Amino acid sequence: MIRWLIQGIVRDKTRFLFPFIVVGVGVALMITMLGFMDGIFMSMVETTSILDTGHLRLVNKAYYDEEHLNPMDRALGGQKATGKWLEEHSGTSIQWLPRIRWGAILDVPDEQGETLSQTPIQGMAMDLSSASPEIERLKLQKSLVQGSLPQHRFEMLIGYQLAETLDLQPGDSVTLIGQSFDGGLASDNYKVTGLIRFGVFAMDKKMALIDLKDAQDTFYMEDMVTEWLGFFPSRVAFQDYGRRKMELEPELKALKSQPPAGWYVDDDPILLTILEQRNMDEMAKMFLLIRGILLVIFTFLMVLVLWNAALLNGIHRYGEMGLRLALGETHIRLVGLAVFEALVIGCAGALAGSLLGGGLVWYLQEVGVDMGDAFAQSGMMLTDVMRGRLSLEGFVYGIVPGLAASALGTLCASFAIFKRSEANLFREMEV
Amino acid sequence: MLELKQVSKTYRVGNQDFPALKNISLTIEENAFMSFVGPSGSGKTTLLNLMGGLDRPTSGQVLFDGAQLESMNRSELAQIRKQHIGFIFQSHNLLPVYSVYENVLFPLLLNHLKEQDARERVMALVEKVGLTEQANKKPAELSGGQCQRVAIARALIKRPKLVLADEPTANLDTENSFRILELMQDLNEQYGAAFVFSTHDQRVTQFINREVRLEDGAVLWDKAKNGNGELE
Ligand SMILES: Nc1ncnc2c1ncn2[C@@H]1O[C@H](COP(=O)(O)OP(=O)(O)OP(=O)(O)O)[C@@H](O)[C@H]1O
Ligand SMILES: [Mg+2]
Repeated sequence: MIRWLIQGIVRDKTRFLFPFIVVGVGVALMITMLGFMDGIFMSMVETTSILDTGHLRLVNKAYYDEEHLNPMDRALGGQKATGKWLEEHSGTSIQWLPRIRWGAILDVPDEQGETLSQTPIQGMAMDLSSASPEIERLKLQKSLVQGSLPQHRFEMLIGYQLAETLDLQPGDSVTLIGQSFDGGLASDNYKVTGLIRFGVFAMDKKMALIDLKDAQDTFYMEDMVTEWLGFFPSRVAFQDYGRRKMELEPELKALKSQPPAGWYVDDDPILLTILEQRNMDEMAKMFLLIRGILLVIFTFLMVLVLWNAALLNGIHRYGEMGLRLALGETHIRLVGLAVFEALVIGCAGALAGSLLGGGLVWYLQEVGVDMGDAFAQSGMMLTDVMRGRLSLEGFVYGIVPGLAASALGTLCASFAIFKRSEANLFREMEV
Repeated sequence: MLELKQVSKTYRVGNQDFPALKNISLTIEENAFMSFVGPSGSGKTTLLNLMGGLDRPTSGQVLFDGAQLESMNRSELAQIRKQHIGFIFQSHNLLPVYSVYENVLFPLLLNHLKEQDARERVMALVEKVGLTEQANKKPAELSGGQCQRVAIARALIKRPKLVLADEPTANLDTENSFRILELMQDLNEQYGAAFVFSTHDQRVTQFINREVRLEDGAVLWDKAKNGNGELE
């Protein structure tokens, strides 16, 4: 009987083609849309994580509590020991990068050394040596609009808009004036080697990057960092960050009970995921909500279209259904088999749609679409290449509604079958 | 084999009752070959409906091999139809996407037979109705008469006790009608299934063994063929 039904589907194009196309296109669109949205959201998450919070962040609680004041005196000691521990306890699954967030006055002198202009800036210090993973992560080569990356001690990269404001060129000297770790005056001369553009307004306008070692010297923070940023491989979805953090937490607790060399007595680091910071959690919730709403709307539309298709199909096969009733099939069975047929067609459509949508998203993920300036100016992304994200979840959210809509559409249309009375069959088969 | 006792069927149209059948009692024997005749609206189709378990009477009893059809629910009736009753309709008889062979096979699939076990039986019957060469053709490639032959084969394939046909020859020309009637007569004898059909056609009389005339939902007369081949 099942072979019989499938033969019918294969032979009858009117039965097959339209629902197949609807499900195929629907599933493809859904997978593409989800992959695309995921890609964009993940880009935002990535940007924030790279420039600011990491996926995970290890930071002294006291520092975090007054983060807005830039309390460098609450930095975490024992950089080497901590780094070693982190590496040992998260293996290859998390890449941990030490950073110092600093604030200082940037003083631009004229030829005589007199102050030309001064401005307070937010800076970040990180490993900028040529082999550093930071270079790749921040896409520094690509972001460089002028000049070169630092190669010597006490060199600096600054945001191109900041450079514009201060009229700085690569090669110019500047002085950083700030507070040392223990509250004294800290000051060093730096040479600007390059201007960078991240496409993120706050960065381009206010940011200066220096090497971690230089920062430790300038601010008297030997073996200290303000934070460690941890990065998961890209296959880990942001929804999983929290769980990963929980896995690490007991180990951190164990570490704290036997603090490594270099920690101060009041060092009390905590782990934070990106979602716990910068309102990212809200944004993630909003994103998931919008995604959910789109899914529902899409599924609903598909149900409507497939319902219609099934109604047309019902008219097309009116005679067949009547005959089958007369031959002794029950109404329930007819509806059940109609749903079965719809699911077979739905599966075929979903398969085709998955290939199509998956292919598109894969292309977006691997190659990306260069959106040029339009995208960069949105001020939220590190990259102007729009990416997709291929995930199992994306397929599930595409295929399940496709199949559900097939079944539901047919079921709705099948109420006509239920209402059909056997008593009229002879008369219906007259004309 | 089939017995109708005091059967009435009343349709409700608007808020008025319309009696389509009034107190009909009939007995149909195992190998009957009979027809209902009568003017349009006299109740022929309604009667076939009741006999075939497609509908239930308003009052009275329909006994099929002793089983009371009038008190069965829809799915029990479907079960009886599936196993024991063959239907031939006036038109739109065949499933268009399936071949002649597959159309005849279909009732066996419904009765849970495997295709490979049924193949010979189906082909034998297809041969009997003279369509061996057309076995793999689709209904659209057949003439009206050929389609009715397929329908007859399909009605008989499950060895039903009763075959019901509502004006099976109404869409055919005289020659084809006669061929169909001859075929049914033939199969009636060979398979021992009772054939009951309705018709407007006076010429059918020469083929049948019994004729029941309906008028206004009641039996006007019920004649069986005597030894001389005349109805009386
Ligand atoms: N579903 C129904 N609702 C109301 N009245 C009906 C219904 N079915 C049949 N009737 C009426 O019952 C009567 C008998 O109808 P039936 O179809 O049995 O006649 P018939 O002898 O088969 O006629 P014909 O030769 O035209 O096919 C008719 O007057 C018809 O209008
Ligand atoms: Mg009729």
